[in-house]
Amino acid sequence: MKLAVFVSDYKMTVDTLERLKPEKMGIILVQNGVYHASVKENGNASSVLDSSADLYALKEDLETRGIDPANVDSKVKVVSFGDVVDLIFNDYEKTAWL
Amino acid sequence: MGKLTIGCFASLVGSLNLDFTLKLAGAALDKGHKVDLWVSGNGTMLSIKDQRAFKDYSSLAKPLQELMEKGLNITACEACAEARGYNKDNTMEGVKRHSMDWYLASTFDADRVLHIGGE
Repeated sequence: MKLAVFVSDYKMTVDTLERLKPEKMGIILVQNGVYHASVKENGNASSVLDSSADLYALKEDLETRGIDPANVDSKVKVVSFGDVVDLIFNDYEKTAWL
Repeated sequence: MGKLTIGCFASLVGSLNLDFTLKLAGAALDKGHKVDLWVSGNGTMLSIKDQRAFKDYSSLAKPLQELMEKGLNITACEACAEARGYNKDNTMEGVKRHSMDWYLASTFDADRVLHIGGE
């Protein structure tokens, strides 16, 4: 199964993400979840970014929070709402919301 | 083109989830997809008519109206609405009210489903 997981909060959801074992996984950072893409604590990036999943962050939610999309972690691809629709229909079969 | 069913649970007007839901629905409609939206719990507040828009306060009535004109099919959980005093007479024109089997049926013939949980 190809699973897209929406991460909508900055709380650590790594335990949940690690339990998910789809054949292919994408993590789409939205709402306050976009902080995972840029905030460093004690010099360390969010452990969500250690996942082997493909990582995406919603551009509008980054900009709303004053985060320059150019400054997100290089592992993260910045996407629009339209791109998210394409990911849902073309790249993944199921979705989950965290 | 496909059909996307979005279930938005337990979000009040002003919440991040409802705002996200309408923007995603709009992007999907713009790409030619069909979108069913189910609002449940506090999310049924979105279905009330005569919502007043204030500056600097999230207001989704107008965007919702525009999305319905583009073909958005939105249904509110009737029991959730009635429990909150939102009756048929103060429901926005174009918004349907049904029991949860509407959502279940919609998910069964959808190509993709996004179930957004409560906040």
